[in-house]
Amino acid sequence: MIAVRHVGLRPRVAVAATGRHAAILIVIIGLLFPLFWVAVTSLRPANDLFSTSPIPWPMSVENYRDAIFRFPIGTMLLNTAIMAIAATLLQVTVAIGAAYALVRFRPRWGGAVVLLAGAAVVIPPQMLIIPQFLIASHLGWRDTYLGLIIPQLAACGLPILLLREYLVDIPTSLLEASIMDGARPAETLRLVVLPLLRPALAAVSILVFVNTWNEYLWPTLIAPQVNHTTIQAGLQLLGNQEGPTSGALLAAAMITTLPVLAVYAIASRRITHAFLQSGIK
Amino acid sequence: MTDVMRQPESAARERGRVPTPPAVVAAAPSGGIELRSVRKSFGSTPAVDLPALSVPAGSLTVLVGPSGCGKSTLLRMIAGLETPEAGHIHIDGQDITAARPGERGVAMVFQDFALYPHMTVAANVGFGLVLEAKHAGRGALPRAEISRRVRDVCDLLGLGDKLGRRPRELSGGERQRVALARALVRRKPVLLLDEPLSNLDAGLRAQARAELIRLHREVAGTFVLVTHDQAEALSLGTRVVVLRAGRLEQAGTPEEIWRCPANLFVARFLGSPAMNIVADSRGRLLGWRPADAIALGVTSPPAAPTDAGEVFEGEVDVTEFVGDRRMAHCVGDHGPWSVEFPAATPVAVGQRIRVLVPAGSLHHFDAQTGTRL
Repeated sequence: MIAVRHVGLRPRVAVAATGRHAAILIVIIGLLFPLFWVAVTSLRPANDLFSTSPIPWPMSVENYRDAIFRFPIGTMLLNTAIMAIAATLLQVTVAIGAAYALVRFRPRWGGAVVLLAGAAVVIPPQMLIIPQFLIASHLGWRDTYLGLIIPQLAACGLPILLLREYLVDIPTSLLEASIMDGARPAETLRLVVLPLLRPALAAVSILVFVNTWNEYLWPTLIAPQVNHTTIQAGLQLLGNQEGPTSGALLAAAMITTLPVLAVYAIASRRITHAFLQSGIK
Repeated sequence: MTDVMRQPESAARERGRVPTPPAVVAAAPSGGIELRSVRKSFGSTPAVDLPALSVPAGSLTVLVGPSGCGKSTLLRMIAGLETPEAGHIHIDGQDITAARPGERGVAMVFQDFALYPHMTVAANVGFGLVLEAKHAGRGALPRAEISRRVRDVCDLLGLGDKLGRRPRELSGGERQRVALARALVRRKPVLLLDEPLSNLDAGLRAQARAELIRLHREVAGTFVLVTHDQAEALSLGTRVVVLRAGRLEQAGTPEEIWRCPANLFVARFLGSPAMNIVADSRGRLLGWRPADAIALGVTSPPAAPTDAGEVFEGEVDVTEFVGDRRMAHCVGDHGPWSVEFPAATPVAVGQRIRVLVPAGSLHHFDAQTGTRL
C-alpha cells in the first residue's frame, strides 16, 4: 500500500516514508494492545481467564451479565454521567465568563488571573485533595452530587486558558462594532462572541467531559458508598467486595470506556482542530 | 431576535402593504463636532493634543496625516472607543465626552469592515436597530419598521439582492457597502469612517470614492473620515484636517490647504510629486509645485529674477514618462527639484534647463520655523 502510494518517488524517499509509517504503526499497536487484551479477556469464561490465546474462544458473556446484574453498574454510570455533565457545564460557563471578561475589559490584573489559571493547570490536583476533602466534608457533601460536582470547578483553569486563546483571535473591531451598535457587554457576549466561539466551546466541553468522566481519586474519597459513587471508583469496589471477580471487573471497565470512546469517535476531528488552532497541547 | 432579519421577504411584504416613500436614510441630521483641549497619550508618547478643533455640521471632514499622527485615536475618541485624558467633545452643543459609544449620536465604519461573520447582510445591518428596539422597550421601534429601514438603506447602497448572504459570500466592495449600510441605518447625525477605502483594491477605490461623495450628499449628515492618503483627502473632503504627531498642522477646505499650505510639513505632505523646496538667496525657503513651472528655452536670453516670478536653473538628472506629462528631476544650484512638462517637451538627461515659476505659484517659508511667510 505504501509502495503504491509513493510510486515515482526516489527509493530513498520511499524507504523513509515506509520507516515512518512502520514507527507510527508500532506506537499505535502499543497503545491499543492493552485495550484489546481487556476486550478479549472480558469475553472469556471464568475458568479460561488467564489464557494467552488472542482469540477469546470459547466465548462467554457471563462476565458482562455479572457486571450488569450483580453490581449497581447502572446507578454508578448514572452518577458518573450526572457528575461529568454538570461539572462540564459549570466549568465551561465559568470559563466563558472569565475569558470574556479578560479579553473584553482587559482589566489591569488580567495578567495575574491568566497566571493563576495556568498555575491551576500545572499544580497536581493530588496536592490539594486533602484540604478540598476537609472542606467538602465539613459542608456535609460526602456521598452527595454536590460533593462530586462542585469541587471539580477547581479544574477550570484549562478551559479558561483555551477559551481565552479563541477569544483573542476574534478581531477586536467586531467587539467594537457591537459596542457602536449599542450592544451592552452581555449582549455582545450572547449575540456576537458565543456564536463565533461555538466550535471552540464544543471542543473544550468534550475535553472537560472526558477528563471528568475519567476522574478516579476524588469520587473515591468523597463518595465511597457503592450507590453514591461513580463508575471509575466503583470498579475498584467491585473487585474488593466480591472476591476474585476479575472477569466482571474487566467487562465493567469495557462498558465504562464505551461512552468516552463514543464521544471521541464522534468528535475527534473537532478536538484535534481545536488543539491545533489554540496552540496549546 | 433575528427572525425579522433572517427573512428579508417580510420586509418586502410590509412594503407591499404600506406604501413607503423612496429610500430616505436621514432627514436632516446636524452633527457639528467641537473638540476642546482634547488630550490623549499612550504611555509617555502623546497621541493627540488639540487645543481646539471643530467639524462643521454637514461637512465631509477628512483627518489626514502620516501613520502615527493620531488621526485614528482622534476618531476613536469621538466614537467613544477611547477616552480622552483631558478636554471635552461636544456634538451639537452637547458634551458627550463621557457618554457611552452607542448613545452619543455617532455610527462608525471600521477599516476591516468588522461585519459579524455569522449573520446575514440583513442581520448585520439591522443589528443596531434590533438592540435599539429592545432597549427602548415594547413598541418603540416595530419590527416592520426595522425591516423597512434595513431594506431601504440596502437598496440605496445596491445591496437589495444580497440581504440573505453572509459576509464571506460577498466581494470586498460589497462588504464595504454593508459596513456603510450598517452605520447609516441608525440615522445618527455623525458617521465616522476609519480608512474605509484602504481594504479595497485600486480600481474599486476610485469608484468607492465617488460613491462616498454621492452618499454624503444624499444623507446630508456629518462624515468624519480618516485616511493616510493625501490625494484621497483632497478629493473626498469638503474640509481637510492635517495632523502630525497628535497636533493640528492645518485645517481648511482642500483648495485652501492646497493653495496656502500653512507650513513646510503641509506643503511637502500634499501633492504627488511633492512640492519642491529650495533655499533662496535671502535665506528663506521657496516652494513650488512641479506642475507650476514654465520651461524657458536654454537658447532664450537669460531672464533676471523679476516680479513676474523666480527662475531656477539646473541639470536634468532623471526623466520619467508619466502619460501625457514628463517629469524631470534636476540638480540645481540650491538643491534638487522636479518639474513637469508636456510629454512633447524635449528634455534629455544631462541637459541644463531653466524654468520660470510665476510669482503666484511661489510659496515662502521661514527657514527656521517652517511657517508660511
